[in-house]
Amino acid sequence: MPEPIIQIEDVRKRFGRVEALRGVNLDVSEGEVVVIVGPSGSGKTTLLRCINRLEEYEEGTIIVDGMALDNTSNINAIRCEIGMVFQSFNLFAHLTALQNLTLAQCIVRKRSREDAEKVARALLEKVGIPEKANAHPAQLSGGQQQRVAIARALAMNPKIMLFDEPTSALDPEMIKEVLDVMATLAKEGMTMVVVSHEMGFARAAADRVIFMDEGLIVEQATPHDFFQNPREERTRLFLSKIIHL
Amino acid sequence: MLASTLLDFTMEEQKKNARSRELSFVVGGEVSIRQDPWWWLVVAVAAIIGLLVILWPVPFREIVVFARDGILVTMVVTVASYFLIVIVGLLGGLGRISKNKLVFGIASLYVEVVRGIPLLVQLIGWYFASPVIIQKLGLWLNLQPLIEYRANPIITAIMAITVCYGAYMSEIVRSGIQSVPKGQMEAARSLGMSYFQAMRHVVLPQAFRVILPPMGNEFISLLKDSSLVSVVAVADLTRRGREFMSAHFNPIETWLMVALLYLVMTIVAARVVSYIEKRSKYERY
Repeated sequence: MPEPIIQIEDVRKRFGRVEALRGVNLDVSEGEVVVIVGPSGSGKTTLLRCINRLEEYEEGTIIVDGMALDNTSNINAIRCEIGMVFQSFNLFAHLTALQNLTLAQCIVRKRSREDAEKVARALLEKVGIPEKANAHPAQLSGGQQQRVAIARALAMNPKIMLFDEPTSALDPEMIKEVLDVMATLAKEGMTMVVVSHEMGFARAAADRVIFMDEGLIVEQATPHDFFQNPREERTRLFLSKIIHL
Repeated sequence: MLASTLLDFTMEEQKKNARSRELSFVVGGEVSIRQDPWWWLVVAVAAIIGLLVILWPVPFREIVVFARDGILVTMVVTVASYFLIVIVGLLGGLGRISKNKLVFGIASLYVEVVRGIPLLVQLIGWYFASPVIIQKLGLWLNLQPLIEYRANPIITAIMAITVCYGAYMSEIVRSGIQSVPKGQMEAARSLGMSYFQAMRHVVLPQAFRVILPPMGNEFISLLKDSSLVSVVAVADLTRRGREFMSAHFNPIETWLMVALLYLVMTIVAARVVSYIEKRSKYERY
């Protein structure tokens, strides 16, 4: 069996007096789609942000694609391999959609402008908005912005994609267009770690669902087992609160 | 230099597909009276100067001719200082947001101390004190060129102004950088850019648009405050005016003309700032 592409070992992180992560262990294998759910303040976003070191952790080890994150010297090289999609999109506001996609390709991957634009246009096509190449972020709807943000991350040809509540800031009717793009990616075999409240997505696209609470992983299971017969009492309580039909 | 590369970077991008951006860029690329009626003020002041010079060559034409090298000195001191101020401000601003405590401490101390001392005092201090220090240093190191050092008024003045205004500019740059949402830096870093690449390509171009009005203000203040250099033997417009007045005893005409000359320079500068501002506008979230 090949080595997991992400190995998280006993990671701890505190914000002042609050312990955000209290010893998390998690392995993700190549091509796996992992969805992390949990109540707010459970540490899921913090964990995700530790995987590309946007957040420093005090203890533990994270190894991504064979490279230990604790070694600061090559953090930029590791980040190239990890695409990140944010809740608030964070598109570069002064650049067009196309330029958002080409900037890092040119200065980090050192691609020529022509090559970068070719990649960018193909990706905008893929996320379904090729006609918005020259639009600025402020001219796009939330769903379109998030799709550009996904394309921007993909333009670096990452091995892993991290999604931090990618649909939480969207109007309901725009959620689907973003989830569709994510589902396509999952089908293509991209390794994905997704923090989300979209249980429908978790059920349909995830290989594994992880439930976090109070800085710990409480339960992990296949979507079927997770939703049909959760083992832990805490998980059942959580599911009963969010699934209301 | 840094500011101009930022500007070049964004302008160049804008020109390339100007048509597709009509929505996002407020039309205002032309310098014309129709687009910016305040140019009429420039025309009016220039016309008054022209009329005075033509109708009463004595003394107005004489004043202008006498003071023209002073006008040039004022412009050189202002532009050269401003260029350096932007660089100092950029470094100071980055220092003021640095997580490195030493860098932050040095930048903050610089800003706090320099802001608290009047520009005139700093100018006189640099002019009279710095040569003595350099000469003493020369004696100590036994270096002949340092022992014989004499202060060059213009260079000393530019240095003093840069140190003083650099402190204010540092705070302007800091506020601009802090006005850019944190997520912009995070997104850039998550794509593998280094801190400085992210600053250069993502944060500063956005900060620059925010701080353009206060930066323009600084330029105009600087143009006027450059008259202070006349006390340290720099033959700028103000000093030449004073020399003319003492030779011809006509204070009213002299200072009217000097004031008009300053005014025409500052309002042209204001128009240029407003033009750049319009050019670089974009829709924000």
